[in-house]
Amino acid sequence: MKNVFLAVSLRILLFVALAVMVFDFLRVEQLFIQMDRGLLDGFSVDISNWPGYMLLGILFLFIIANLLHFWRLRKQTNTDIRDFFTFEYDATDERAIDHTRKAVSYAFSGLLIYSFFVIGSFMFIPNYFLDHIWFPVFAVASIPISGLLIYAVSFTVLQRT
Amino acid sequence: MRVIKNRVKELRARFDLTQGVLAERVGVTRQTIVALEKGSYTPSLLLAMNIAEVFKMPIEDIFFKEDAK
Repeated sequence: MKNVFLAVSLRILLFVALAVMVFDFLRVEQLFIQMDRGLLDGFSVDISNWPGYMLLGILFLFIIANLLHFWRLRKQTNTDIRDFFTFEYDATDERAIDHTRKAVSYAFSGLLIYSFFVIGSFMFIPNYFLDHIWFPVFAVASIPISGLLIYAVSFTVLQRT
Repeated sequence: MRVIKNRVKELRARFDLTQGVLAERVGVTRQTIVALEKGSYTPSLLLAMNIAEVFKMPIEDIFFKEDAK
């Protein structure tokens, strides 16, 4: 169960780091576009490497954790490991496998509902691509994060009942 | 409605096995044995056969159907 939380946390951090890096890049690009369109006369901007380094650092941790997970899974005889290749899945025994399946189905349902509302929310910020660039980036990143959270919570609840 | 009940707790005590030892012998986690004894988890046929093997008894002597209360 701890592994599931570690995996979900790392995956969420990965999505957040990617969104931050993309946002940091677009934030600068956005200023150039605004200037091209005559909306700005000039601008000053700080450019830093830390979003990229943060993404690489988390990606490195994620890959290491995935390799360790795969190494542990090789000893598993209760299931076909190809079904549980993803780091988030707990295949330690048949009950965990059963709960993983259920939690994945809950996460999928939650994700479908959440993405419906997220797409709908774009309607309320018509010029988000120029003035609120953070919104589409983080809104898209929040879709897999919502699924991961639903998965982690439902898996934990199922394991404890 | 009929549900599957089991005598795992009773047999485990008789064979003087801890939940951890039984779990290790049948290839599951201790939490699964806990859930099994509580009746909140119905094992797969493979797990039921593994448990029957440990207790050297037929499956039907360990797992049986009962009317839900």
